[in-house]
Amino acid sequence: MPNPSDPPKNNDNDAELIRSINDGRQELFFELVRRYEKSLYNFGLRMCGNPSDAEDMVQDTFLNVFRYLKGFRYETKFKNWLYRVATSACLKKKRRSKFAPERELSLDEFLPADESAVSKEVPSWASQPLTQVLDEELGGIIRNALLELPEKYRLVIVLRDVEGFSTQEAAEILDLTPSNIKVRLHRARLFLREALRTYYET
Amino acid sequence: MKRNNPKHAHQGCIALFERLSEYIDRELDPPTCRDIEAHIESCKPCQVCLETLKQTVDLCRHLQRQQVPETFSLKLREVIFDLVEKKPG
Repeated sequence: MPNPSDPPKNNDNDAELIRSINDGRQELFFELVRRYEKSLYNFGLRMCGNPSDAEDMVQDTFLNVFRYLKGFRYETKFKNWLYRVATSACLKKKRRSKFAPERELSLDEFLPADESAVSKEVPSWASQPLTQVLDEELGGIIRNALLELPEKYRLVIVLRDVEGFSTQEAAEILDLTPSNIKVRLHRARLFLREALRTYYET
Repeated sequence: MKRNNPKHAHQGCIALFERLSEYIDRELDPPTCRDIEAHIESCKPCQVCLETLKQTVDLCRHLQRQQVPETFSLKLREVIFDLVEKKPG
């Protein structure tokens, strides 16, 4: 049983709030919602692909968090635990929705067939500042490419590159080894890079 | 097509290709980073791979986030309000 007087671990800004909620100030749960509803909603959009499923996922996540918050172990960051619950809600949602087929992405499919197929100059889309290239249309191309990724790769790239979790944190959230996270992330990035290359170069 | 630099065997490029994400994420030890940088310096195709992959990662990191629809946000609070009211502290 955690001692409420223990200092927060892992620089977790939420630990104090969670302790207060668990000590009986349940009205503070709204503060938790305020802190995370936007992140979770956007996580849901990236994972599920539509606002209705994203809303369901966010609601299911907060309901589960409310139900199980007493069992939260303070040695992990609350945010990591929250995304673990959210990931589980996404996966349940997925069983009722249409998703990209599950398949393995192999490194070979991203290797250029031969040297003549390799670009010799850095393309302009990769050398321009983000502010010049990242418009609404390109945002849509990236969002769609994310949805075309098989789920196990999509989860990893969304957690790492969109949500900003570290390799270690993503491993904790998904119950995978860090090296597994790295392998999946690299393949997911290569998949996305192909989508961008196709958009710009064909 | 004529190779620009015969020292860059295809196999060497593939070995590097596998580690580019770790390089971008600064997850490699300094000697490996130096090896990669030395290779990139003289291998244009690998430099193109690295730059396009870096930009892909940067674009993902800067995807615009949407606002939560207000109707949903209110509904969510109502659902939670009901829970808070029901559950003893």
